Amino acid sequence: MASTVIGANITIEGELVTDEDVVVQGTLRGKLSAKDGLVVEHGGVVEADVNAGPTQIAGAVTGNIHSTDRVDLQNGAKVVGNVKATRITIADGAQFKGNVDMDV
Amino acid sequence: MVDHSVIGPAAFVRGRLTGTSSLEVHGRLEGDIDLSGDVSIQSSGLVAANVAGRRIVVRGAVKGDLTATEAIEMETGARVVGDVRAPRISIAPGALVRGFVTTGPREDASSKKTSRVAASAPAPTFAAAHRPAAGSTSTAAPAAPPRSTPARAPEASTPAKARASMSGSRVPPLPVVPTRKKGAKAVQKKR
Repeated sequence: MASTVIGANITIEGELVTDEDVVVQGTLRGKLSAKDGLVVEHGGVVEADVNAGPTQIAGAVTGNIHSTDRVDLQNGAKVVGNVKATRITIADGAQFKGNVDMDV
Repeated sequence: MVDHSVIGPAAFVRGRLTGTSSLEVHGRLEGDIDLSGDVSIQSSGLVAANVAGRRIVVRGAVKGDLTATEAIEMETGARVVGDVRAPRISIAPGALVRGFVTTGPREDASSKKTSRVAASAPAPTFAAAHRPAAGSTSTAAPAAPPRSTPARAPEASTPAKARASMSGSRVPPLPVVPTRKKGAKAVQKKR
């Protein structure tokens, strides 16, 4: 289990910083920094600039994503913002609007 | 973990948390927690926030007011600085609490203030209740003022009596302050 979980019925307005991994099932607005990995599950909403390790997104993200590792946009993902990562995958069924920068 | 949120031990959250989820805090949190689920602050948790929840369990440190609709449990190792309010509150041995603790049915902040005013009110209402009782007799009007004057007179004379008793055996701590003040004033006047 992830060390930090934002549950389905919770809203955080502000800043979340952690060296561990984060799972978002609810809503986060503000700023998100998760060095050890980020999972935005289906139904999860992130309206924030994201700094993370390996990132999997199946929910909605509005904001720039900066990953030190890889970013996977899974089926059902809805991403608006620029993505900067070493590796990026966009699955069939993922919605994405933004720049891709793989030059790290 | 259908509807459960966790702030991990290495996590730092600054901001406002709202919703119906239950929350477990192992890390640091600054801001506000306003949930209708259960909130637990574990021993590694450091919370600088006003916390509102259904049931709040504290094993770590909290700086801020705690308000629960059901219960607040402060367990061994808890450090709480702030006002604590819930229908049921438990403080375990080994828990540190500094603040105003209120148990009982849930009230809003406004009704809390009015209840406090009402609590301070009984003395005047009691006196008012006595006056009509005296007024029921034929010699009400003359009787009431003398009753009120003796009632005031002891209050006014208490410092004098206290001073008089000070010369005797009794030395109450409170009257010392007015005598000092008066002495200080006298010195100022002399100068």
